[in-house]
Amino acid sequence: MSLIEPIQFATLVVLVLNALGVAALIILKAINRSRRRRAEARKRSHMRLISRHVAFEHSTDPVPAKAATDPAFIDALIDVRNALAGSDLENLERLVARHGVVDELVSDLRRSFPKVKRLRAAMALAELADDEAVPVLLEHLDDREPEIRVQAARGLGRMKWTPAIDAIVARFGMETPWVRARFADTLIGFGSAATWPLVAYVTVNHRHETAGPVAAIRTLAAIGDDEAVKPLIEVLHAGADPEVAIAVIEALGHLENPMAAPVLRSATRDADWRIRAKAVTALGLLADTESLEDLAAALHDPEWWVRRNAAAALGVIPGGLDRLYEALTGRDHPASEAAIEALVDIGELAAARARIEEGNGRTRDHDLISVAEAGR
Amino acid sequence: MTWARVLEWLGYGVLVYFIAMQAYILGLNLISTWALRRDHHLNRFGRVTEMLSSRTTPPVSIVIPAYNEVVGIVDSVRSMSLLKYPRIEIVIANDGSTDGTLEALIDAFKLEKVSIPYRAEVATAPVRAIYRGRGAVDITVIDKENGGRADALNAGLNAARYPYVLCTDADVIFEGDALMRAMTRVVEDRERTVAVGGNIRPINGSPVDLGHLVKAEVPKKLIPRMQMLEYLRTFLAARPAWSAMNALPLVSGAFGIWKRSAAIEVGGFTPGHMGEDMDMTMRLHRHHLKNRIPYRIVYEPTAVVWTEVPETARVLRRQRIRWHRGLIQAVREFLPMTFNPRYKVVGMLTWAANVLFEFIAPIIEFAGWFIIPLAWFLGVLNVEAFVWLLLLAFGMGLLNTLNALLLDESYGYFDTKTDTARLLVMALIENFGFRQLTVWWRIRAMLGGAAVKSWGNMERRGFVRSVSPPQAPPASSASRP
Repeated sequence: MSLIEPIQFATLVVLVLNALGVAALIILKAINRSRRRRAEARKRSHMRLISRHVAFEHSTDPVPAKAATDPAFIDALIDVRNALAGSDLENLERLVARHGVVDELVSDLRRSFPKVKRLRAAMALAELADDEAVPVLLEHLDDREPEIRVQAARGLGRMKWTPAIDAIVARFGMETPWVRARFADTLIGFGSAATWPLVAYVTVNHRHETAGPVAAIRTLAAIGDDEAVKPLIEVLHAGADPEVAIAVIEALGHLENPMAAPVLRSATRDADWRIRAKAVTALGLLADTESLEDLAAALHDPEWWVRRNAAAALGVIPGGLDRLYEALTGRDHPASEAAIEALVDIGELAAARARIEEGNGRTRDHDLISVAEAGR
Repeated sequence: MTWARVLEWLGYGVLVYFIAMQAYILGLNLISTWALRRDHHLNRFGRVTEMLSSRTTPPVSIVIPAYNEVVGIVDSVRSMSLLKYPRIEIVIANDGSTDGTLEALIDAFKLEKVSIPYRAEVATAPVRAIYRGRGAVDITVIDKENGGRADALNAGLNAARYPYVLCTDADVIFEGDALMRAMTRVVEDRERTVAVGGNIRPINGSPVDLGHLVKAEVPKKLIPRMQMLEYLRTFLAARPAWSAMNALPLVSGAFGIWKRSAAIEVGGFTPGHMGEDMDMTMRLHRHHLKNRIPYRIVYEPTAVVWTEVPETARVLRRQRIRWHRGLIQAVREFLPMTFNPRYKVVGMLTWAANVLFEFIAPIIEFAGWFIIPLAWFLGVLNVEAFVWLLLLAFGMGLLNTLNALLLDESYGYFDTKTDTARLLVMALIENFGFRQLTVWWRIRAMLGGAAVKSWGNMERRGFVRSVSPPQAPPASSASRP
């Protein structure tokens, strides 16, 4: 066989594929165009229908027989639901129950495929937040598909189904970062009901894993419940892993509870500069006036981040401004640099200029401007 | 051995090369199709909304290097400040502009000169001053002496306060949720993700209003339309495949999110490099693979940024020469990685393919312009085989384009019959003239001589405004696909 024959054959195959490709593209574009238009029209008509049923409980407008299996109807249902409250919402829930929408979605979710249908069902169940879906959502917290686990937790969160908290927290350590972040959002939505399960999780696990406890600590910080302060301080005292310690210090800062001040002050002298840097920031968030000395000392820290954060913290604590001005004109050049950045950030430079223009300028205003203009 | 015999053997060599290249393109197409289908459903199910409302979404610094961007910079910054994202800061590195870029920024954002320390973790040209905004937009401007695009990006990296840095251009238009979509890939795995690339699309001819794209349209002019096909092929039929294999050779400069600590660890962007984005991507691969540090560099096709591409052959020529010089620099720098098993898929496949099919291909094609007539003259050219091969090459190229267009259909950008017709006709005719020109420009880049600058001198025509009148042409770098 000569070389030409296989080349000819390959060329003919490729040309046929090209012809098929062109045809497929033209047909696909036409189909998609008409599908998009029809989907939009169907959704609009479903929304009108659902709105009528919501407004008049005994509306006689017929709902299509296969509404529960129609994605456009489900989308419309979700859109209307998210805009409702009170008795209107109850009417919508009755409509959902009457047409077996939840049952249909539950059966879709329980299928083993197709994935897209299962995902759509999980998301719709999460959005509709119907109590009937609780068992199936709990069941799918450990689904093989990460997005379905996310939607299951989200649905339970929207229903404020507190018995689910333990199940969600228990999966923290074994989840992918994406799912963990979404679980954290759900737990934040639960509010203080999630505090103790998270505290228990951190206390038990912080010695032998990092990612899960760090995420749990950040979730506690976002929840903002003071009940978490004492256990978090204990975690810090227990000599936690540096990553965990950093998360705890950040959380203590966000919780803004004065009980944390002593432990944070001692953290400003930690050997790890990252812990020192986070501790000075946390003290700033606590606005703890007893920490002024520690923060002023941190202005002379060998690490840039610690100095910068300490200066920023001094900028927001009563009495801290005097310490910044002292550092500004002091002999320690790095401390002076940190001080001027903080002073500029809190608007002191502009304020000093204004005071001078008004004739109320003080010596330190002139000092600040001269240091700023010298570009130290 | 006679000349005729040499030419015959050369022909067999080229045939083997041709088969390898087509197999490579076909392979990328198949893997990209699989990867896009695999991820497509995820983007329809609320991931972006969840990120937007989440309190754990990491903050991002947007770094914009600017050189003589007075016309578009203010609109551009305003549009970026409106991106759907919980927490961003904007850092502009003014690289010694002489057209009043800095003054425009000071005026628009009420910037105040501040004498704060500048921490040069990566060395840059001297910084003249730092400005901070006191308005609603968290904006910092680093006014520095001219040092080129990479140097300006390094200044931005130094000044960025957040752990992830979006490096972009001053004249692009982001889709509202583009940053959020790209950052979903970071949140998927914050520990390992060191870079995320976005999808770049040509905006020429599409109407823009108040910094937002009104409707995506296929460019009406031929040169931008041809580039649109190139961008579609690159971003839909190749990059998803590389990303799926964690072997992405390039995170494009117009939309690249970098983990700040990782970028600084490898020394920042290389000043003076013509392809600083490719250089950074490859250095991150090399660093992590060499030191056996787990990492990933990914591409997100749904994170879309729109950019203006050259409309004239003169500007396009300059851009292509600059890109190819960047590739030459990179090939020289990363040659030891080629076919080196230590660098896994990146060494054995990505970089090897880049050297073989990006760097060497124009040389072979250019040589063919002379060797084929010579072989015909000497009577050793099998004309029939040559014609069939030419037809096969044409068909394979068209197949690649058609696959990219089919993949693009999932995103529903081009809806009208006219758009479809324009793209199909362009797919048929791009091989006649445009292809040969790009080969010639690449050869020019190898030969040297044509002076190109790091900033590129892209002549902007201004976006087509749907309400307000068109603006005067700005000048800046253009984005490599």
